[in-house]
Amino acid sequence: MTRRKSYELSPGKGPSMWRSLEDKALGAEELTKLAQEEQPGGFITDLLSPKALVSRRSFVQGSSIAALAAGLQGCVRRPKNEILPYSKAPEYSVPGIPSHFATVTSRGRDALGVVVTNHDGRPTKVEGNEQHTRSLGGTDVRAQAYVWDLYDPDRSQSPAQRRGNALVDATDTDFDKALKDLAQKHEKDQGAGLRILAPISNSPSFRRMRDKVIEKFPKARFHTYSPINDDNAREGARMVFQGAPHIPLYDYSKSAVTLSLGSDFLGSEPGAVAAGRRFALTRKLGSAEAPMSRLYVLESNFTVTGSMADHRLRIPQAEIEWFARALLIVLAARGATQLKPIADVLQQVEGALDTDGIDMAWIDAIADDLIENRGRSLVIPGAGQPARVHALATVLNAALGNFGRTTFFAPVIDPDDSDNRASIGDLANDADATSSLIILGGNPVYDAPADVKFAELLDREGLTSVHLATHRNETSERCSWHAPLAHELEAWGDQQALDGSVTVQQPLIAPLYGGRSEIELLATLMDEKTSSGHDIVRETQAGQLDKDTKALLDYGVPATDLSSDVIWRGALHTGVLLSPAQSKPPVNVASLIEALITFRSRNRASRDNFEVVFEPDPALWDGTHANNLWALELPSPMTKLVWDNAALISPTSARELGVKNGQMLRLSKGEAKVEIPAWIVPGHADHAVTLTLGWGRTAAGRYGNGKGFDVNPLRTSSQMDFTDGVTVDPLRETYSLVQTQTHDRMEGRPIAIDATLDEYKKEPDFASYRSVDPVSTPPLWKQVDYGEGHKWGMTIDLNGCTGCNACVVACQSENNIPVVGKFEVERGREMHWLRIDRYFVGDDANNPEVAVQPVTCQQCEEAPCENVCPVNATVHSPEGLNDMVYNRCVGTRYCANNCPYKVRRFNYLDWHGHLDDKFGWFEDFPESRKLQFNPNVTVRMRGVMEKCTYCVQRIEEGKLSAKRDGRTLRDGEIKSACQQACPTGAITFGDLNDPKSRVSKLAAVDRNYKLLAEIGTRPRTSFLARIRNPNPKLKGNG
Amino acid sequence: MQIFPRELNYLPLAVALVAGGLGAGVFILFWVYFTPPNLQVGYAPKQPVDYSHRLHAGELGMDCRYCHSQAERSHEAMVPPTQTCMGCHALVHTESVKLAPVRESWETDDAIAWVRVHQVPDHAFFNHSAHLRAGVGCASCHGRIDQMEVVGVVEPIAMQWCLECHRNPEEHIRPKSEITNMKWEADEAWLAQRAAIASVLNPPLHCSGCHR
Repeated sequence: MTRRKSYELSPGKGPSMWRSLEDKALGAEELTKLAQEEQPGGFITDLLSPKALVSRRSFVQGSSIAALAAGLQGCVRRPKNEILPYSKAPEYSVPGIPSHFATVTSRGRDALGVVVTNHDGRPTKVEGNEQHTRSLGGTDVRAQAYVWDLYDPDRSQSPAQRRGNALVDATDTDFDKALKDLAQKHEKDQGAGLRILAPISNSPSFRRMRDKVIEKFPKARFHTYSPINDDNAREGARMVFQGAPHIPLYDYSKSAVTLSLGSDFLGSEPGAVAAGRRFALTRKLGSAEAPMSRLYVLESNFTVTGSMADHRLRIPQAEIEWFARALLIVLAARGATQLKPIADVLQQVEGALDTDGIDMAWIDAIADDLIENRGRSLVIPGAGQPARVHALATVLNAALGNFGRTTFFAPVIDPDDSDNRASIGDLANDADATSSLIILGGNPVYDAPADVKFAELLDREGLTSVHLATHRNETSERCSWHAPLAHELEAWGDQQALDGSVTVQQPLIAPLYGGRSEIELLATLMDEKTSSGHDIVRETQAGQLDKDTKALLDYGVPATDLSSDVIWRGALHTGVLLSPAQSKPPVNVASLIEALITFRSRNRASRDNFEVVFEPDPALWDGTHANNLWALELPSPMTKLVWDNAALISPTSARELGVKNGQMLRLSKGEAKVEIPAWIVPGHADHAVTLTLGWGRTAAGRYGNGKGFDVNPLRTSSQMDFTDGVTVDPLRETYSLVQTQTHDRMEGRPIAIDATLDEYKKEPDFASYRSVDPVSTPPLWKQVDYGEGHKWGMTIDLNGCTGCNACVVACQSENNIPVVGKFEVERGREMHWLRIDRYFVGDDANNPEVAVQPVTCQQCEEAPCENVCPVNATVHSPEGLNDMVYNRCVGTRYCANNCPYKVRRFNYLDWHGHLDDKFGWFEDFPESRKLQFNPNVTVRMRGVMEKCTYCVQRIEEGKLSAKRDGRTLRDGEIKSACQQACPTGAITFGDLNDPKSRVSKLAAVDRNYKLLAEIGTRPRTSFLARIRNPNPKLKGNG
Repeated sequence: MQIFPRELNYLPLAVALVAGGLGAGVFILFWVYFTPPNLQVGYAPKQPVDYSHRLHAGELGMDCRYCHSQAERSHEAMVPPTQTCMGCHALVHTESVKLAPVRESWETDDAIAWVRVHQVPDHAFFNHSAHLRAGVGCASCHGRIDQMEVVGVVEPIAMQWCLECHRNPEEHIRPKSEITNMKWEADEAWLAQRAAIASVLNPPLHCSGCHR
């Protein structure tokens, strides 16, 4: 536990736990000074400065108008409110009681089952579906945020037709007619010249409609393109499983040693939610004796998976394959006999093996660990790694005896669908023969590979193009026709996950703007009997429903209770129609060997040969959510940047290039150029640049336009994941990047506590070394006895928390938390009640470890905030909650000043407008966004302090429903929003007075500690210290 | 030399008294006229339909929950959909002029715009089901609805008034079977047992009980 420094900052030395490189370089005095500032960078005192929003004069004017208006308003006796009941009420709907529906959201060719809360017909909140194998009750950031997209004020609201250079609103009738004309034209030529481009789809109904279109127009062609796709994994699967390819599914809960070959399996990869839950099972130790898994991660950028690693090797993406080849040789030599044939070939063929610059100590240690844990290990390939690495990983898992133990397989869905990069290339090459192009969703003008030049394709004379999209985006702007695409929460569909399970996507609301889904558009195109999404899905699944009916009949269920309708409704209710498939395919290494010896060019990254890696943005993804305010203002897990993307580079590369944070870089490869500010990420691979996709949109909407930088010009169809040979030139200009990592300083106090497994075993209660009880600081007031009734508390297991941010967005959507914009975040005014602190640990700036810690209101029993409030706006409840009373708050902000955890947030402005906007002052707050609000939580106005309440609305509702049913409250019945969203189950909430509750058991675990317990605040939230499990053979970075 | 008369020494006192009196006057003015007992009580807006609670709940003796059917389940007691009205009025008084807006709503599918009478102040979350479960009768807050031709507010719906009952629920609860009974009065048997029933209710007195 040497890395924990004393309470005071050690003068003259960089802290061993640091939030940013700037912090690391600073001395103790400067750090203390920074920590004492309430406003990072100091207050803007000069109201006349261009940085301030209002001048002194306009401020006075505004306030006198406000005072006058307030006076006038006082004379009004009461606002007249109306109650508008239904004319004919829908059955089973109870006004005021939310209903919940199981549905599904797509993740490329994977699917995530969710349960959506519906308040009086408005979907407001998304939770995971415990019965869905890809969710297991957890969600990710995108699932939490996608309900916002439904209410996006910039969604396309009607079809549009291109007239000259602009899109002009059209009616649905016009559009249907145009579609009909198109179909008629192609009926004559059997669809020659008709091309349909769609993103990769996981929908059985879409596949059925696609086949039908081909049947009707035999010469038509379907193309597939998604900027973030599964090409590598599928090609890798074809390499080892000839004929019928199978996709690997990993069970992390059974793995004692996991090696990630560039895989962000806890972050951006398909199945990350379920992976997180299973992975955490092997990490959340109940005691020092419990077994703990070990994770090795090889990666170039610092990802959330890397932050969980026990050993992390930072190497460029292209190097990972060479590492894997070298590992294979060593494993073959140490008894993995199945690898012999490949090892022999690799050793014989010149250039097929190159261990130059590869850390053999690492390979040695990993190989030993893997061999020791045969059948209990995993090798995971990254989605961005070439197909060879995917095939290699499968072969390694086979040789290590992991098949059927940690590695399972399911048949590849839609195996005949062509690769994305080839498919879009074919479409471009085929441009001369194309007369009509229907684009079903996506935004290829923005995100297609640069060499395809998709925009030019659309601009060709005589091409009729139809674009179905949620927004009138960059692609719509160039198409002849545009039609609004229905949101997933508005349309019927069905989705198949990678494991083969099928879920019906059921709508929770009728399309707000008359949008239609892809399958509905295809049905209209073919002039089918019905273009209703529901009927199409029902027809697709008819066979399955009949089969299930028959199976249940055979099982002995009485026929009177059974019909396909019953099965259908059951599937809608549980959110699962078809359970996962499993297969045990035989591995064939011939094509892998062929591929390995064909590819022998190793280009090592250097100062003149930078590698550029393209990654999806954790929140914006490929740009789909580019107008989503929650996504835009979400601090990126590692960089903590908001409202922008940047070129991520290592401190060494930065020194070599002579660039600082925010300095513009020109990345060029051949003709292609991208200018983007640099951001130095400790732990990034040298001579590599990571660029995130999805930014720099020009037609995303009012919030997303012009935010960040478009990096697609560098992306070509042959190098979609990473590319080498990029020249990096620093420019003189700088750009203001805003990040939250240095806000809310904790004055260097050790609050994120960690130790290695050995240290933990030696001293099991190491974490609570400061939590002296009774506390060393005497209480100010007479102590309250919380022994009676409920005593709410929370534990957060830092061994489970990956820092993925799902809880942050969950909190935001549950509690109506506003978004404030880049300018305000820069002033430290972000509103997230729950923040995730990210610390770098260690003295090597190039190769630190990471500790993450979610921090929110600790619900102190001796709350310092309460003592200083002059108006009793924050007081304690008998259950120990630190209540915040908005209508009492006068906004002195004393409480925020006195909070040692810096978790209080102040509404400096009216972020949400006024709900009854009598004077029309808040017209810029769109009506549609009001639909998203949770009606059980106050929408706060300007001048009010707010903070985490442990989701008190859920607590009260839980208590009440127990009272209504005349029973006692069950443990786990009340879940806070963050707890429910957490994919790894790191957060537990419950009653500390109930000795059987999960939370009180976790609070009793020896590695439990309370933040700053020594100052006597007696927090109700406690943390379970992070334990790392380094391999004793590997020194450093562990 | 004395320029000003001696009496003038009392001027500051007089000024203070007058100012104080004026201040107190303004204070009392607000206290009397701008507080819930005055702003709320007596508010009886005209409704789009001349619906008589006196007739339906009083003379005909309909149970409150026939129309306000979700009061035991939801935080809202619920103003009934037009459907509920038409349940009877499709057969009874089908030609009544007073019912024209109801029939119109039924035919056009548009809502009847009822005017809210009882309004809980902003920032407070009230739950009907919780109060019914505890045994608070409808009449305790809404008064003798069965005698009202036009529904108006009879109690000041303000925090102090809420807390009076939350602090001392005993006097305000009744047997659960009598919740909708407007004419109910406590009898000896109830008086004997109500203290025991009230003792386990624990109505919230802390802020987040109602303010979230």
